[in-house]
Amino acid sequence: MRLRSVIRWEFLRTIQSKQFLIISLLIPAMVAIAIFAATSAGKGAQQSLHEPPPPSVVALILAMILFMGAFLSGVMTLYSVVKEKQGRVVELVLSSISAQEMMAGKVIGLGIAGLIQVAVWAAAAYFVASRFTPISLAALGPVHWITYPLYFVLGFMLIASIYAATGAVMKDVQSGGASGLVGLIPYVPIMFSAFIIENPNHVLVRIAGFIPPFTPSVMLLRVGVGAAATWEIALSLVSLTVGVLLTMRFAARIFEIGLLMYGKAPSVRELWKWGRMRHAR
Amino acid sequence: MDRTALRVHEIVKDFDGLRAVDGISLEASRGEILGFLGPNGAGKTTSIRIILGIFEPDEGEVSIRIGGLTGRLLKERTGYLPEERGLYSDATVLDALVYFAELKGLRRADARERVLRWLGRFDLVPWAHKKVEKLSKGMQQKVQFIAAVAHEPDLLVLDEPFSGLDPLHQDLLKDVIRELRDAGTAVLLSAHQMNQVEELCDRVFLIHRGRQVFYGTLDEIKSRDGEHVVRLRFEGSAESLAALPGVESLAVRGDRASLRLGRGASPDAFVRSLPAALTVRELSVTRPPLHDIFVRAIEKENHEAA
Repeated sequence: MRLRSVIRWEFLRTIQSKQFLIISLLIPAMVAIAIFAATSAGKGAQQSLHEPPPPSVVALILAMILFMGAFLSGVMTLYSVVKEKQGRVVELVLSSISAQEMMAGKVIGLGIAGLIQVAVWAAAAYFVASRFTPISLAALGPVHWITYPLYFVLGFMLIASIYAATGAVMKDVQSGGASGLVGLIPYVPIMFSAFIIENPNHVLVRIAGFIPPFTPSVMLLRVGVGAAATWEIALSLVSLTVGVLLTMRFAARIFEIGLLMYGKAPSVRELWKWGRMRHAR
Repeated sequence: MDRTALRVHEIVKDFDGLRAVDGISLEASRGEILGFLGPNGAGKTTSIRIILGIFEPDEGEVSIRIGGLTGRLLKERTGYLPEERGLYSDATVLDALVYFAELKGLRRADARERVLRWLGRFDLVPWAHKKVEKLSKGMQQKVQFIAAVAHEPDLLVLDEPFSGLDPLHQDLLKDVIRELRDAGTAVLLSAHQMNQVEELCDRVFLIHRGRQVFYGTLDEIKSRDGEHVVRLRFEGSAESLAALPGVESLAVRGDRASLRLGRGASPDAFVRSLPAALTVRELSVTRPPLHDIFVRAIEKENHEAA
């Protein structure tokens, strides 16, 4: 009941904010880049531009859209946390709800806003792209329709909670520090997407598919080229779910402690200590 | 009937090896205002955060008894005016207040109605749809107060409620706080203006370096040292005043004198012994003001620590 209020509040505030509008305008450009990059990366597998692209290209586009959306709502979460810290609202909020509820409300509320934003633009882009290129959702089979939403949502939650915790330990938006880099870990496989598409059954790729921060992007691509076995999909979803829960718990601890600290940013070692603490200080 | 609303039992809190709160215990009852006093950095804010469940204590416990229930703190039943003010500055006054009341478990329609009633009480209705950041500091202060009380808490914690308010609004706020007390709210009031504390509080708790310095009713605390303060406006010579019975110190400025009568000295004996050569224009004999007691208690503690 209270969580629903927090989600509603965070969602409405987000979609009314200026940043949201600016990001909304940036997304079409980024979607276009994603489609362009994915189409050229998939060129090798593709005979000509007029033939329908293989599922791998569609998968890559979706993976990029996922991470763009997650990155943007992650950044919005981070800003919103830092702003509440600077505005000293945090103390009042925490006298009503727990830090976990606050973080969950933010991650879900801003996540919904981010997903809607990405979905709207992706739909618009698809509409345009499907008229001028052979890209088609028909390339996706039932396995994609079942697994992609799961990888999407879990990947979103993983990234958003990392950013929420990062925001909580920041003094202001300028001071990112080393903790900002943690939020980039899930993006590493995207840099190797060409390799993954061409060698979807390479032992390193298969292992990476089970390591939670890498799972969403790696598995989106492996499922996309039809290389993932059913047991691999199941196992990756289980490990990702466990990873998301652990990350959220760890992030919630850091969030809780970081929120009411206004001094210098903590070191990585301190963060590790906080994350494993039983209760806040 | 047991009217205890809050029970704090030997709470301890360390930060990086420094002890911020060192085993304090206190109780607050329904229908009373407990002054929670201490110099800056004494551990007040940390204690308040523990009481409100924002921090977990390292040791000890906080329990709350409301409506026959005893147990862990119920955040919905507490209200808080933090010293560091902060509301969502880019939201409208009404939206922000309704949201905070919702976080306390009120339904939206109910929250809205109560918030509007409070806005009316503080003459803020015309500002309901303005953004919080457009309001003057005093108005924001009133809005912040509404955020603390709109859900009718059983335990209300006010940290420096009077700072930034003009005398008119200070009086308004005092009236409201008294009303809440009379309606059965337990109020924990932290303030640096000792005259306000004296006006409002039934009992006070003084904390210094995380520990209790004194805890009791105002009368108990004031009579503890057995001293009196005399203020005098006069015509004539003040020379003889210092020699009067019980006088421990004397300060004269123009036609005004202020004297301290030591422990056990009788105000009656002092007044009767005033010399006939002195024409008294104004005279007051009182227990020392809380301000002096506060300052001397802290100085004594610091001296003993040094």
